[in-house]
Amino acid sequence: MLKVLLKKQLADVFKSYFYDAKKNRMRSKGAIAGWFIFFFVIMVGMMGGMFTGVSILLCGPLTEAGMGWMYFMILGGLSIFMGAFGSVFNTYSGLYLAKDNDLLLSLPIPVRTIMTARLLNVYLLGTMYLATVLIPALIVYWAVAGLTASRLICGILLFVSVSFVVLLLSCVLGWVVARISLKLRNKSFVTVAASLVFVGAYYFFYFKAADVVRDIIANAVVYGEKIKGAAYGVYMFGRIGEGDWLATLIFVAVTGILFALVWYLMTRSFLNIATASGAIKKTRYVEKPVREKSIFGALLSKEIGRFTASPNYMLNCGLSTILIPGAGILLLIKGREICEMLESVLASRPGAVPVLIATILCMLTSMNDMAAPSVSLEGKNLWILQSLPVIPKMALRAKASLQMLLTGIPVIFAAICAAVILPVSPALRALVIVTPLAYTVFMAMYDLTIGVKMPLLTWTNEIAPIKQSGAVGIVIFTSWGFSILLGGIYMLIGYKIGPAAYLVTWTVIYAAVALFLLRWLDRKGSRILAEL
Amino acid sequence: MLKIEHLTKTYGEKKAVDDLSLHIQKGEIFGFIGHNGAGKSTTLKSAVGILKFDAGTITINGHSLLSDPVTCKQELAYIPDNPDLYDFMSGIKYLNFISDIFAIPSAERQERIRRYADMFELTADLAQPISAYSHGMKQKLAVIAAWIHSPKVIIMDEPFVGLDPKASHLLKGMMREHCDAGGAIFFSTHVLEVAEKLCDKVAIIKQGKLVKVGTMEEVKGDDSLEEVFLELEAE
Repeated sequence: MLKVLLKKQLADVFKSYFYDAKKNRMRSKGAIAGWFIFFFVIMVGMMGGMFTGVSILLCGPLTEAGMGWMYFMILGGLSIFMGAFGSVFNTYSGLYLAKDNDLLLSLPIPVRTIMTARLLNVYLLGTMYLATVLIPALIVYWAVAGLTASRLICGILLFVSVSFVVLLLSCVLGWVVARISLKLRNKSFVTVAASLVFVGAYYFFYFKAADVVRDIIANAVVYGEKIKGAAYGVYMFGRIGEGDWLATLIFVAVTGILFALVWYLMTRSFLNIATASGAIKKTRYVEKPVREKSIFGALLSKEIGRFTASPNYMLNCGLSTILIPGAGILLLIKGREICEMLESVLASRPGAVPVLIATILCMLTSMNDMAAPSVSLEGKNLWILQSLPVIPKMALRAKASLQMLLTGIPVIFAAICAAVILPVSPALRALVIVTPLAYTVFMAMYDLTIGVKMPLLTWTNEIAPIKQSGAVGIVIFTSWGFSILLGGIYMLIGYKIGPAAYLVTWTVIYAAVALFLLRWLDRKGSRILAEL
Repeated sequence: MLKIEHLTKTYGEKKAVDDLSLHIQKGEIFGFIGHNGAGKSTTLKSAVGILKFDAGTITINGHSLLSDPVTCKQELAYIPDNPDLYDFMSGIKYLNFISDIFAIPSAERQERIRRYADMFELTADLAQPISAYSHGMKQKLAVIAAWIHSPKVIIMDEPFVGLDPKASHLLKGMMREHCDAGGAIFFSTHVLEVAEKLCDKVAIIKQGKLVKVGTMEEVKGDDSLEEVFLELEAE
């Protein structure tokens, strides 16, 4: 029974490997094998490889200084972080918010078995993540410091104990996420903000990692003494990998006690957790005065509502709404230095700096593509638009307007920042604003055109139109190409006519193509939408 | 009010609707019955302008659905068999969205929302996201959205599915009231008892073809509608 339940749990976690949401059918055996090979390469090749590199970098100097414990403290800590955070959202959805709890509880399966299967699933996933750090760390240590019986046994016990620590943390963190999630009102915005903070932190630590490692190696003795004095427990944790039996016994015992405690609490509360409704606090309806909207206003509000309701949509198709103002602020702070540096590097291409700044803004603009999946996102709701007295071209214009609005306003801000710092004529400053704006309009029309030409309405998961549809794939690759053309052609031949004439030419091209696409959308695009 | 003439729609090789003609007049509740896959939903969707058809004409109050779709849609409302509404909106936002599309003044829409939501006991849930609604609640919301702009013609595909007995009873009353006030209703159903009690006229469709149409008395005579329907199905 446990095996069957566990198999079902794992199949649910890896369902995207077996099932093609885009085509709404099972993948072929070859495709399933391909996805698993890809997963293996990511986990073992990339993540395992990265942590093997970190282990090699740290292990030699630290063990030579007699501080192998610090090596295990760092990598053991990293593995706990990876294991717990890597599986926290799976724990949240698999343990506390499982959709099939009602079904399983109605079947003749003991509650304890259901709980064990859920925990085993969390345990296996957490262990998989921590293994990418701890297994390379142990192997590197055994290779560098030498393998003894006590190091081998204590190393294995360290791995097993850490896997249980990860399980405990996952349960606790998953519970915290579940509680926060139930209380949140603007869940999508918080999810987007949390994702951005996480990605930002990842890149911050990624770029700082080399400095941190160098610092640790250079000041290992000083840090070591401080840790021993202030956090003896952490020191003892590091000693396990070195083969310290006392530290191993203490750690295993403490982990065992904590695990027994969590197991006891889970068995007492699992039925409550499993049968909790998970419903968000009910918002009480209070009648308020309503502001009437025009048909276009209503359609645009609908598009904004859809965009802001979906973290997936916002993160995948609207990240530049935040990045572009960020680039503007960066230009205000570091812009003059960047311009001076670019001018000296590109001395042979006079006037290249304003063109390149405009190119960068266009490249960032290309990252916003909310119009591309907007038709597909209508999905099963398409009947509403089709049955209402709405001219299809108005519905399409509302979709394009969402992208123009959420990209255009940030572009104006960033372009004004650029115009402020650029040491060029007022006309050229104006063009640095106008060209990216024209590009924004062109992109909105282009993205929507592709979206209308390649709709995907049969999706069951919104990720399919947002990330995996042909329309979005084409838009992502080609739009980057369009933006690069602006700077690239200038470098090749454009500089011969000067930056002002060059930017005017491109502005006219963008405007003309946007106008052409708008006419196409108004006529043929509207017909396609009406007949989908 | 709703005139369907020689409607034909094919899916690949299969003729889903074959030369079907119907005329739904002012004040009529017109029932449309047939087995699964007979062509009911295809006819209803074509009449609303959701589905492009191959031949025939559909007019609503004299306006052609093909040449003047927006005017036609101004005068009709549609409730599909599965109420897939905008999950990302709350119930009240959806009703305001529909009201904005039909340019209903705010005071009027608030009065109607209050009336219908109270009637269906949905008022307390209007601020909830539609994603949190049950099937029945979505169906009630779809009914309110259909009635909110006082359409002349209401087209419904299996409107009673998912509704509780009280809501079904209310809907039947609203249908009668709507037609008594000069409107028309064209709806499909599998519940023959409901059709028998509620409809002024009924049409039976089989494999895309109209096999019987007329007033309830004309169609069923002294038999029950169920007997007539099963008899026609067996032929």
